[in-house]
Amino acid sequence: MDALSGNLPALWDGLIVTLQLTLLAFAGASVAGILVATARVSPVPVLRAAGTVYVETLQNIPLLVLLILAVFGLPEIGVQAGLFTTAVVVIALYQAAYIAEALRSGINSVPAGQGEAARALGLGFTGSLRHVVLPQSLGTVVQPLGNIFIMLTMNTSLAAAVGVVELTAAANRVNLIEAQPIPIFVGAGVAYMLLSSLVGFVTGVLERRLAVHR
Amino acid sequence: MIELRGNTPALSRTRRAALTVVTALSLAGVAACSGSGGSAAVPPGPAGDSGGKSADAFASAPVAAASEIPAGSTMDKIKKRGELIVGGSLDAPLLSQQNPVTGQVEGFDADLGKLLAKYIIGEPKVKIVNSASETREALLSNGTVDVVFQTYTITPERAQQVAFAGPYYTSGLAVAVKKGTTGITKPEDLDGKTVIAGANTPAIPAIKKVAPNAKIVTFGSDPECVQALKQDRGVAYVQDQSLLVADGKTDPELQVVGEPFTTDPYGIGLKHGDDQMKKFVNDWLKKIQDAGLWQQAWKNSIGTVVQGEAPAPPAIGSVPGS
Repeated sequence: MDALSGNLPALWDGLIVTLQLTLLAFAGASVAGILVATARVSPVPVLRAAGTVYVETLQNIPLLVLLILAVFGLPEIGVQAGLFTTAVVVIALYQAAYIAEALRSGINSVPAGQGEAARALGLGFTGSLRHVVLPQSLGTVVQPLGNIFIMLTMNTSLAAAVGVVELTAAANRVNLIEAQPIPIFVGAGVAYMLLSSLVGFVTGVLERRLAVHR
Repeated sequence: MIELRGNTPALSRTRRAALTVVTALSLAGVAACSGSGGSAAVPPGPAGDSGGKSADAFASAPVAAASEIPAGSTMDKIKKRGELIVGGSLDAPLLSQQNPVTGQVEGFDADLGKLLAKYIIGEPKVKIVNSASETREALLSNGTVDVVFQTYTITPERAQQVAFAGPYYTSGLAVAVKKGTTGITKPEDLDGKTVIAGANTPAIPAIKKVAPNAKIVTFGSDPECVQALKQDRGVAYVQDQSLLVADGKTDPELQVVGEPFTTDPYGIGLKHGDDQMKKFVNDWLKKIQDAGLWQQAWKNSIGTVVQGEAPAPPAIGSVPGS
């Protein structure tokens, strides 16, 4: 246990980086995910196709491969950003595919009559999506989005492989000196668990608030 | 899917354009991600055909007498199993690297593992379990692996968890920079700069010691570190000297600066408290050093990039923790 308590500052710094990665990537993923979901239900065939290609491509390439390609491959064609920035952008774009699918399932759960009624009232594509369909679909997607948030939190640990010193990398470095993997990684695991159970609690509250009773 | 089509007049031209641009941008992002990347450097393997030479070495390698393997001992279990299970790497050039063509694991650590297997079993039959520095202690203590040959630096902290035979080799960390870099002539010059190191290597604590304000960026493998140095992710790369020399051979952009600044005694990791096995392995180490097999293994691996004859092996039991 000394190995854990004696290195709390280093692990704490790692946890902060994990939190930053998680929050920034989730914000980016939400924006990109809404755009992709919109494209996938849009009336324009080209946009629908583009949205499908985006989702299928990103979901079918492992995140670690994307991260390594972005960190080591992109500089070869002259695109280079910091390691942290690259990690945030890649994780955000990757998770956007999942968020888009969660949102689309939510949109599909709204009865078709709702969209037809909105059109009958003279609302356009954006108007019916914004005022009628999305608000009703949000209630059903809170839990899936929470799961994606938890998945994203866990996925930030892959950034350790491309030089970002987040919680996993910090635990690795501490262990290198202490040679006490069990307390150190159990400690890191507990921190991840606390983070995800916090997210689970928040989504539970949100789901009750946003529930649509019909 | 809900039908939102059929109302196109309401979707104004500008909105449609905006949506198209956004989607096009995200697609461009995908294309950029999936393109390129072909430069991921191929790890430099040990030059020359070490296969043939080491095969001869195994033929003449010593085998333990039956009296040296008491019934019920760890060695006896390994002999009955007919295979030595070694915790090691598959991606460490010159030390323990899997040859992608033959599938064989080659290098100094790998050859020593085979020599030990030959000594116990009579055949160089080894199964390498890819261990990592965060799992080595656990793999040894729960008996998943018999021994660890993996640039395992002997330290008193680690000696509380595992037993170390050896040291069997002494190495040191050195600094490499991109050719043409000025202002870095010694490790202390790294203070306040961004330095690249292999994840889970002794380089991390060593850099912190000589240059406390250096920012350390770590990558999983040696080729990744070299690539990162070339892409200016850091001004210098700290790694085992022999590895850096090997990298410099295959990559003219790399330049090794100065001499090694640390002394790292590598030990053979064994289960904690197994004194019988420790003595057995130490005796074996002495035998292969006297027979010149240790030197032969060095020449076939590290000796392909480091000039001169094999160094004198470190004295067994000469460092704290061994």
